[in-house]
Formats: sequence, structure tokens, C-alpha cells
Amino acid sequence: MAECHPVGFRWVMEAKSRGAMVIHVDPRFTRTSAVADLHVPIRAGSDIAFLGGIIRYVIEGERYFRDYVVHYTNAPALICEDFRDTEDLDGLFSGWNEKDGQYDPTSWAYEGADLGPAAGNRESFTGQPHSERGTQSGGERFDCTLQHPRCVFQILKRHFSRYTPELVEEVCGVPRHLFLKVAEALCANSGPERTSAFCYAVGWTQHSTGVQYIRTASILQLLLGNIGRPGGGIMALRGHASIQGSTDIPTLYDILPGYLPMPKDKHDTSFERYLELNGTTTGWWSEFPKYAVSLLKAWFGAAATKENGWLFDSLPRLSGDHSHMTTVTAMADGEVKGYFLMGENPTVGSMHGALQRAGMRKLDWLVVRDFAVTESADFWRDAPEIERGEVRPEEIPTEVFFFPCAAHTEKDGSFTNTQRLLQWHHKAVEPPGDCRSELHFTYHLGRRLKELYASSTDPRDQALLALTWDYPVSGEIVEPSAEAVLKEINGFKVADGEPVGQFTDLKDDGSTACGCWIYSGSYKDGANQTARRKPGHEQSWVALEWGWAWPANRRMLYNRASADPEGKPWSERKRYVWWDEEEKKWTGHDVPDFIAERPPSYRPGKDAQGIDTIAGHHPFVMQGDGLGWIFTPSGLADGPLPTHYEPQESVAENSLYGQQCNPGRMEWKRRDNPYHRPWDDPRFPYLVTTYRLTEHHTAGGMSRWLSWLSELQPEMFCEVSPELAREKGLTNGGWATLTTARAEIEARVLVTERIPPLRIRGRTIQQIGLPYHWGSKGRVRGDAVNELIGFVADPNVSIQESKALTANIEAGRRGRDRRVVTSGPLVPGLPGNDRERDLPVVGQKPMGAHGISESRTQQGEEG
Amino acid sequence: MKDERDGDGDRDGRHVDPGLGLLAGEGAQQRIDTTAEAFPSRTFVWRDLPSHSFPPEEADEPTYYGRPVLKEPVWVWSVPTYFYVGGTAGAAAVLAAAAQALGGEELHGLVKACRWVAAVGGAAGSALLVYDLGRPERFLHMLRVIRPTSAMSVGSWVLAGAASATMGSALLSDQHGFAGRLGHFVGYVAALLGMPLSGYTAVLLGNTAVPVWKAAQRSLPHLFIGTSVSGLASLFGLLPVDLTPREETIVERFGAVGKVVDLAAMAVVEHEANEVETVGRPLRTGISGALWTAARALTGASLALSLLPGRRRAKRAVAGLLGTAGALALRFAVFHAGKTSARDPRATFRQQRSISSCHGSSVAAHLPTGTGSES
Amino acid sequence: MAVGFFTDTTICIGCKACEVACKEWNQLPDDGFLFTGMSYDNTAALGASTWRHVSFIERPVPLTGQETGLGDFSWLLQSDVCKHCHRAGCLEACPTGAIIRTEFDSVYVQPDVCNGCGYCVVSCPFGVIDRREDDGRAWKCTLCYDRLKGGMEPACAKACPTDSIQFGDLYELRDRARDRVERLHRHGMTEAYLYGVDEASQPGTEGLNAFFLLVDRPEVYNLPPDPVAPAKEGRPAWTSMAFAVLGMAAAAVGAVLTVRGGGD
Repeated sequence: MAECHPVGFRWVMEAKSRGAMVIHVDPRFTRTSAVADLHVPIRAGSDIAFLGGIIRYVIEGERYFRDYVVHYTNAPALICEDFRDTEDLDGLFSGWNEKDGQYDPTSWAYEGADLGPAAGNRESFTGQPHSERGTQSGGERFDCTLQHPRCVFQILKRHFSRYTPELVEEVCGVPRHLFLKVAEALCANSGPERTSAFCYAVGWTQHSTGVQYIRTASILQLLLGNIGRPGGGIMALRGHASIQGSTDIPTLYDILPGYLPMPKDKHDTSFERYLELNGTTTGWWSEFPKYAVSLLKAWFGAAATKENGWLFDSLPRLSGDHSHMTTVTAMADGEVKGYFLMGENPTVGSMHGALQRAGMRKLDWLVVRDFAVTESADFWRDAPEIERGEVRPEEIPTEVFFFPCAAHTEKDGSFTNTQRLLQWHHKAVEPPGDCRSELHFTYHLGRRLKELYASSTDPRDQALLALTWDYPVSGEIVEPSAEAVLKEINGFKVADGEPVGQFTDLKDDGSTACGCWIYSGSYKDGANQTARRKPGHEQSWVALEWGWAWPANRRMLYNRASADPEGKPWSERKRYVWWDEEEKKWTGHDVPDFIAERPPSYRPGKDAQGIDTIAGHHPFVMQGDGLGWIFTPSGLADGPLPTHYEPQESVAENSLYGQQCNPGRMEWKRRDNPYHRPWDDPRFPYLVTTYRLTEHHTAGGMSRWLSWLSELQPEMFCEVSPELAREKGLTNGGWATLTTARAEIEARVLVTERIPPLRIRGRTIQQIGLPYHWGSKGRVRGDAVNELIGFVADPNVSIQESKALTANIEAGRRGRDRRVVTSGPLVPGLPGNDRERDLPVVGQKPMGAHGISESRTQQGEEG
Repeated sequence: MKDERDGDGDRDGRHVDPGLGLLAGEGAQQRIDTTAEAFPSRTFVWRDLPSHSFPPEEADEPTYYGRPVLKEPVWVWSVPTYFYVGGTAGAAAVLAAAAQALGGEELHGLVKACRWVAAVGGAAGSALLVYDLGRPERFLHMLRVIRPTSAMSVGSWVLAGAASATMGSALLSDQHGFAGRLGHFVGYVAALLGMPLSGYTAVLLGNTAVPVWKAAQRSLPHLFIGTSVSGLASLFGLLPVDLTPREETIVERFGAVGKVVDLAAMAVVEHEANEVETVGRPLRTGISGALWTAARALTGASLALSLLPGRRRAKRAVAGLLGTAGALALRFAVFHAGKTSARDPRATFRQQRSISSCHGSSVAAHLPTGTGSES
Repeated sequence: MAVGFFTDTTICIGCKACEVACKEWNQLPDDGFLFTGMSYDNTAALGASTWRHVSFIERPVPLTGQETGLGDFSWLLQSDVCKHCHRAGCLEACPTGAIIRTEFDSVYVQPDVCNGCGYCVVSCPFGVIDRREDDGRAWKCTLCYDRLKGGMEPACAKACPTDSIQFGDLYELRDRARDRVERLHRHGMTEAYLYGVDEASQPGTEGLNAFFLLVDRPEVYNLPPDPVAPAKEGRPAWTSMAFAVLGMAAAAVGAVLTVRGGGD
């Protein structure tokens, strides 16, 4: 965190100075470790085993927060009799569908209830069309003694029963005494009087089982009672500014603003059907129609009426998986015509740079908006395959448009941080030359398109023509007003344009419009709430008047959980939100995350509908059952409980199960995306992990061109242990060449004890650390690390696996021309392969399950 | 080297496009000639483990990757050359005054020659110093203030005065009447200023943070004075001036004393520097060590030759040549020893540790000495 | 009012925000792009164009109060800067009066006066000030004189996310620093001490306006253990010179007097 989020880390140091214990678990000893109380080196890719071990420690030692667990989580809920755990099926849960290569989650359901998730995988390409958020609750059965063999608690206990300290040592390489120290510290600092927080970043997410990493932490925090309470929680530290914002108002393909699902072509055939399939009858999501209608009203204005289904039918529909890597492979197969890169440099920042370029070579056009001509913008003339003569620039048909863009200091706008806090930034200077903001570009592109199609009567153009696109512009460069956009996002009454105060004001009758329901209130009273900057010492410690947090300026989600079932604080020390018996309402330091006047004693009747189903002692209001989910009966593609699987390319066999890898993972089996052996590949014996440095920004677009940052980390380097250096003849300050089946790169060598070898299953495992900031352009240059990494992904959110893979390292520099697999030769294969990633029953995962075109993905390309 | 890396805005290594931003920072005036090879052009790469900057066998005497703690003197060749020229000029002014005062008309030739040596030396010395300045056009700034704590400031005033006085006396003393009398008077002034002129450069070096110079703080002035006298006498062996035998003998005797002092002071300097082994090392090894040894040999040979009986012109010339070379070699030896010494962090650390420990100062008690874990 | 920095190395996270903030505010040029192999330190030292510098010390010695799976290892991070000594070697050496003490008690080089004589470079016992060869003048930290004039704190302190660099009234900082050391001692980190906090701890400079909290010997951080402003101990050299020049005069007189007319 000190490495990549130094500014946020000030609060960790502040906590430390007040007595907090800082624990850092990382393969490397980083700048965070340097100031931590305890640093635990761990094998990259084994965190579920580590956290699972702590879960077992908490359960076996009865260290969980019992009242919290019994009342606020689904630990007492009973699960279907059909459910089988990975303990029973050697690493698979019940419901594996061999034909589709996916799970059917029916057997994971609560006994007697059908319930969808608040968030998570709502894709239903496999299953039958049914409500993805569930339709009812109340049918669930509970055992508050937590003793029933089919209750979640007992299932959890059995599931993690083999995650012993000994196993953690064997899988993670973490010495037992260090593991026990972490487990004990967490237990000792949780409970009514104390709380503990987890911070994580892409070291957890970028795995083929990434979502389940976070799930493991969630289970642990729910067991310890650390969610919804001050000082608790799980902080997702983002890769760069406003990544949270880019999921709230998404740049993702499968959701609409405010986490409304993207309509699917097979199921969401009409607006009514869309509401039916995506709404719920219980919990907060029962308000779904209000948000959907208001969104369509914001988009289409007066053209959207109840009669025409609010123009829902003019929205595009999802035909399948259009996630990043799927799209890139489709691009390489010639299925994609055009590509916008806005502030993204995928040939350096995304996986498998060569395949990224191979995709771009098949485009008709490419638009790049960035500060400088990046490697992605220059893919057609500056690339290893061009240096090797395998690809000739004059034969690439892609037309590239480069637009210089404005920096954040040159435009108005907001950032949404990991705490869901929106903070406004004002333009300080005009953007120089032709540089323009994204808002400018998008607005004027839309305006010109509307002009171009103004006379069209084609039905498919009507959505474009109906789009409200009337933001006020100003200045010499005709910049649209960012505040006007925020105002639309906040929502307003259609009749008089008055901004709504919060999302509870939204209606499903077309009388309100709102661009993103969770942001409702950010422009409350016609004032930009996100621009508030009242200093901390002039207000309460929760600082409700600094910026604005969604939803409803709430600084902590589910904060009802900071009070006990009766509504009283769990302890004086951790008092945060509580029920005021005299005023008959919820009150506290923060905006209570609960229905303000609903008493703790409230219990819904049998016929309750909508938000009336939320009981007074159920804090997790977005869930259909109001409970924190230790066990996820639906919503995840790879199991209701986290399970330790090895990375796609590992240095070890799975110690726990016959199933080596996540059975649900996404694979791209193509000639241009070869994989190593599942484990013990003699060609690639070392474990590689990638990361960022404080001194650079992701793919370097914002730092490699700036001398003041470049001089601080001027060259691409790898970090290796002294033992590995001795073994391979590497010298500090010298050169090394790293190889995978995909590509080879060179790097300077930093030999350091900070990346220690680990003992795994009686063997010494060497890890290699690779910061990935460099490319072939900019003030400082170096080979791009992500060339080494193949396409593999988590099945829930399609995130790549880049934090644990295997590679080889040799002393010395690479040859002048560097091999990439897309156009160059393959690494010689190994005779036979006696190692399987999957159990026989998992079988061949059908190609194309995640792809656009089955036939084309099987072909591979270029021989 | 300049390639497309340097976009329009980054030519000055700052990436501030003056067309867009105001170059008003405190460092914005810094002139940058090249970004292709940035300043200071560093070629240092640490080849060992980073933690071996702190290896167990040297745990008692850590350094930071062996990097210097001090900055190396930035001066160039003209500075040690000036030490020689200025010193010689100072000694010449002194000898001129002594001969003027005590020798009368009989030593007129010596007085005149010495005055011209001093005058030329003063002028050339000034030029050499101006040449070394980072901003030569600002040489007059040297006379903006008088700072007694700064040997450079004191020296600048001394040089300014001595250069004028020596030049004045050289030009005027041949005149008749008042001008001549004034010239003689100015000659005495020149001698008064010439005394510190030959010596202040030693103080200038001794009063720095550079370990080897600092260690020899007390003996360096004697060394520099000795060398100045020796240098002057040797110079007369080379100059085409006709001196009377008496004058020649005076010069020779003066020179012999200088050479003896020079050689003796060298021994003392070595002794002082070697009190801390690493501090004295530059006087034994490397370029500076070689120059130091050469200086001793040359001066010694010059002394021996000058003490041999006989008045042959050639003998004097050879002795003069050896002495001049010795005097120059010595200045460069001391100069380079300082450069080397500043580069060696251990010289600084050990010197300071040994001073604090023998003085038993409060600092020594205050500083931790063991490895971090033990203290 | 005397102001200064208290740099607490125990909470430095080595982010180098101070280095960048300094260069950005002061518009200093880069110092070259060279991989040094010295841990994460690629700027290597303070210099004419680097006025803040972060040291990275990989140490085969554990840090008190820290446990790590690496065994005996710790990583010390320290942001170094001009010390603005109470007795400043550079200031006392400057022959042009370019280096002055400001109303904030900081030591400031006036670039319009400096003629680049280079004497300050050898007179700084910390190796801070340096002459930039292509510029010809000596440069170092100004304690952000322009920001102080505008009522702002120096850029590095402003940018420091963990308050490892604290700026303020010197006497307040000293109290705060002593409290901090006491607290660390109470928590078992007895090796923590203040470097150059006052004259008693560093008589050679009579105390630093930018002082440090360290946990190992100064040499580890590339700081001199007992720095002295050269002029403070300059008298012996002058005395010695006085004797030497008098000796020279005596020798000259002697030579003239002992050699009588016509030769010996």
C-alpha cells in the first residue's frame, strides 16, 4: 500500500502511531513492509489457503463474533440437501455441468428459497432465464445454534477443516509461527471492542480465482464482525484514480450505471421482462424499476414514455461475453472493426502485448486518446515482430487516429475513490494546443453523429436521435459543462428540472430522470456536493462535509451492523450508528445505512413486499435476505465458497485437491496463446509476480515521459533473491533475460533479500519480481513485462491472471530481435504431458464458451 | 544522442514548456547545456548485493554503497597552478622587500627581478583564479564582502591588494623622484601582502571538510610557504636574468631554506594525515601519491644539487628545473589528494570518529557505535 | 523566526514525493537516467539539481519491533536534505556573500551573486551543496524561500504523505522530536536518537535546522558522525600560517643579511 497508494497510506501510519498493528503479507518485502510491524512473505497465488487457514483458526478456536455471526450473516441458514462440497468431490462443488463447462448453481441454494445476489455474476448464458436477483425470501430455514450439519457455518467448518497451519506452511511457504501470529493478531483485534481492516489491491484480484480471494477475506471479516463497523471493512485499493467511478458509471460491458444489468438479447426481450428478470421482490433491489426508468428518462428525455417502454427496446443487447481478452482475441480473428483507447495502453498495460498488437493489426480503425503517442498508438511500426521482419508496417491496414488529451488539471470533473467518495476537481489551466478532455471528445462526437443521422428514418438510428445531448458549452474550445453532467447523473424532476435530493425520490412513472441512482444526492439542492472541502478540524471525525459519498453521503456501507440487534452500539469504543429510542429513528456519526425510522424490533409480515421485507435487525439491506453472505447461494461462477486452486501456471501441485486449477477459469487455447505445464514445467521453473512501483504510473503513460519521475526508476529491472542470483549467475546491476512461452524480455537485475525463496512441499521455490512500467517509448525505456503473460481469466469478472505465473531467467541480455509467439516460433514442447489442470469429470472446457465465435477461436491465427 | 525522446517541452530536462508555464522556480535559472548526458553524468553501478553496502565483516564501519559523503572539489588545473604562481609571487615580494630594505643599491637587480616576478605572478594568478570560476564574468563579486571566516574571501582581498601592489612597485620603482619613492614604499606593502599570499592557500585547503587537507591543517601552511620559497629560488635558475654573484647566493640560500622547510613539512603533513590511516592514503597511492613522491624526489634532488659547490649556470638551471617541477608537483599532489580523499567516505567517517573519541567529546557519547541490533 | 525540518526516518515510506515535489516546485532539471543497483535509490546523492534525496538502506540487521519472514533484515528509508546548519560551512566559506542567512534562519544561495568559486562545495561537511558544471554556480535547498515568503511550507514537507518530513518552528520541532524519541524508547526502540538536534548533540555545526531521527549510526545514512563547520576550527591554520610567513620573512632577511658583498 505504501508502494502504490502512498497518500492513502498516511492513515495507516496514523493508525500505527496510535497503536494499531500493521501486518503486511506479500511475496516481497516492500516499502510497506519496511514500516510494518509484521511482514509475512507468501507464495504468490496462494492467498486463499492462507486466509482459509485463518478462517479455520477462527472457527476451531471459537474466536468468531458469535452474536454478529448468528444475527447478521447467513451462517445459520440451511443449504439444499443436494449440495456437495469440494471436500466431497476432490475440488469440485456439486452442479458441475460437463457439457457447458460451467457450474449450475441450483444445488447451492438455501433450502426452500431462491435468492439472487446483490452484485456479482448475473450472466445467464448457461442457465434458464430466471430472475437473477431471486424472487422471494422468508422461505429460508435457520439454525441459530449453528449446529445443523447443513447450516452454512458447519459447511464452512468442514470446507476449511484441512486448511491447517501445517498446510498453510506447505502451500504458502509461510512459516507456522508467522501464520499463527497473524491469525492471533486478527482475533485479538476483533470483537465488540476492537476491529481490524483488510486492504488489498490487484495482488488479490488478478488471479484466475481472483474474486474468491476477496470472498475469503469477506468471510473472515464477517466471522470476526468487522464489516459495517468503524475501523473494519475490506478496502479495495484501486489501480488508479476513479477506477471505482468507472464501475459505478461503468466502462464495463455488462452493466449499466448504478450496477443495473446490461440487457441480454436472449432473455430481456421487453422492458417488463427485463424488470422481471433483474428486479427482486425483497430487499433494496425491489426498487429496481425506479432506477431503470429514471435512467432511461435521463438518456432519452421526452422521447421515453411509458407507452414505448421508455425506449428500452432501442438499447443494444448483450449477445455474449465481450470482456477485454475475449474482444482482443476476436479482434485477432478479424471480428472487430474499430477500437477506442482512451487513456489506456494495452500493449504495455494489458496481458500478452503481442496478442494485443495482433488484434490491432486486424482493425479497420483505432482511436487513441493519450498524453503522448504510446506503444499502443505506434503498434504498427514499433514492435518486436516488426523489428524481426515478421510483420511489415506497410501491410497493416489499420488506420490510427491519435488525439492528444487533457490532463486532470486541465478539466473539471470528479474522482470516485475506493471509499465511494466523490471529490470534485476544478480546471486549473486550459489544455494546451489540441488537447481536449474525454468529455469534450465524447460530447462532440455524439453531437456530430446526431447531426449526421438527423434525417435518418431507419429505426435503428432512432435511439441516437432521441438521446438527450444538450449540455451547455463554454469557452474558446467549446467545452461541455461537467457540472451539468453531474446534475443529470444526480437526477432531477422532469417537470421542473429540480435536482432530486436522494435516490428515494426517484419514481418509476417517468416523472424523474437520473443518470446513476447511487449518485443521487451528489447535486442535492442544486449545489455540487462533491466539491465540498470543509477541513477535518472544523467538523466531526467522520467528515460528512468533505466531498460526497454514494449512496446518500454514507461514509460506511451497512453501518447498521455497528449496532447490535437491539440497535445499541456493540461497545462504547466502537459506537458509530445506533437506534435512538426517544426520537424513534436511527442516528449516529454517519448517515445510517438503514431505513431511518424502522425500529430494530421490526419483522416483516408474510405478505411484505419490496423494502418492507427488510427486518429491523438485518443490516445488509442490498441483499435479498439482509444478511452478510458467508456462503453465496448464487452469483458466482466458480463456487459458493472460496477454495484454494493453483494458478494456471504453477510451481506446485495442488496440495488439497485433485482439481489443480479453478474449474471455472476462462482459457484461450490458441496457437498464439500457449500455456506452460500446470506445474513443474522444467522449461519455466520459476514463479513470477508483477507489480508497480511508487515512482511510475501503471503502463507508464503518465510517468515515462516525465523526467522527474523517470530518473527515479530509469530502467526496467527484475528482483531476484541472492540464492537465485548465485544459481543463475546473475549480478546486481547486470542484465537478465526472462522467457515464457509467449515472449522474452530483458531487464536489469536487482539482487535482494527482499524477495526471499520459500519452502513449498519440501522444495525451495524462487520467486522473481517484475515491475511492469516500461515500454519502447518515452523518456526511459525497457521491455514490457506483460508480453510474458498469457490470456487466462477469472470466470466472474474476466480479470486476467498476472500476479502468479511461471517463467525462466538467464543471465545476460536478449538478442537484438526479440521473440513473440504471435508471429514468431513456438517454444519447443515437452514430450507427453502427465499433468492435468482438471479432473477428468471437468473434461474439455468447450471452446468459445467465453468467446464471440467458436469456429474462429479454434482456428488460431497465422498458422 | 538527442532523439525523439526530447519533445518540445523537455529540452531542458525539466519538462516545463515555457510557452505554457512560468519558469519562476528557484532552480529555474539553472542553465542546462545538454540533456543527452545529464549532469552529473553518473556511471556508478553497485555490483554487489544492496545489503552488502553493509556487509557483516564491515558492520562496524558502514558506508552508503561506498558513495562519497562529501562533494569532490570542483576546481580544475588552474587552481593548483595558481597555488604555485601565487605562492611564488608572494615569496618574491617578500624577498624584494628584504633586499630593498637591507641590501640597498647593490641588490637593485634582485629587487627589480623579484618585483617583476611578483607582479607577473600576481596578474597571472588572478587570471588563473578567474578562469576557474563557474561564472568568470562575476570575478569582482569576490570583493563584495569581507568574510574573515572564509580563507577564500581573505585570500581574494590579499590577492587583489598584492597584485596591485606588486604591479605598482614593479612599474614605479624604476622611476625617479616621488614615483620611485612611492614604488619602493608600495614594494613594502607588496611584501606585507605577499606573506599571506604565499600562505593563505594552505589555510584555504586546511579549513575545509576534505579529510586529508583538514588533517594537515597545521602543517600545510609550512609546506606551502616552503614550496613557495623553493619555487621562487628555482624559478631564478630558469629565468634569463643576470644577477650578481651575491644576489645569486642570496637567492640560493633563501631557496635552500625553503626546500629544507618543504621537505620537513612534507614529513609532518604525512605524519598528521596518517594519524588516521585512510586519511593519509591519497598521499601514498594513486596519482596524488605518485605526484607526492615525485615532488619529494624533485625537491630533494634540487636541494642536493644547489648545495653542491660551484657556480655553473647549467647547474643552477638544472636545480631550478627540478625545484620548479617539484613545487608544481607538490601543489598538484595536494590538490589531487584532496579530490581522492573527498571521494572516500571512510576517510571522513574514521577521521571524525577518531577525533570525537580522542577528545572524548559529548558527541562521541551521543552517537551510537555498534550495529543497529546491538545498540 | 527560526524554522526547519524534523525528518523522522521511522515513518518514511520512501515514496520520493519529496524529491519530485522539490523538483517540480523549484523547476529543477533531471539528474540523468541511470540504474544504480543501489536498492531503489537511483538519484544516489544530493546535488546541484537534487535538493531532496531519499536513501534506501537494505540492512542485514533486524529492526526493533519488527518481525519478518526474511530473518535478519530491515529496510531503512530516509529523506535527506540540506541541514541549514546553525554554523554553516558553506555560508562561512562563501567569499562573495552569495550565501546568506535569511529571516527564516535558513541558509540561502543567491544565484544572482554566486560566481561559482566552488569553495562552499569543499566546506560543506555534509556534501550537500554542489556546483552545476554547465551552469557554473553552486546550488542547494533553499528551504523553499519563495514559499516561506508566501506563507506556505516547503514543497517537500507539504508533499510528504506520512509526515516523515515535518516543517515548523525549530523549537517546537525539537520538542516534538524529543517526545517522539522518548516514545520510541518506551516502546523498546532504544536505538532511536536525534541527529543534529542541537549544539550539544552536534557541536561542530552548533545544531541543524534540518535534523533527523535515526535508528542506526549516521554513516549508515551517509551522514558524517561528527561534522564540523571548517571555519569553526580554522584558527590553528591561520596561526600556523602566521608563523610560517614570519619564518619566510626571517629567511629572506637572513639570506640578505648573511650574504655580504662579493659573494659569501
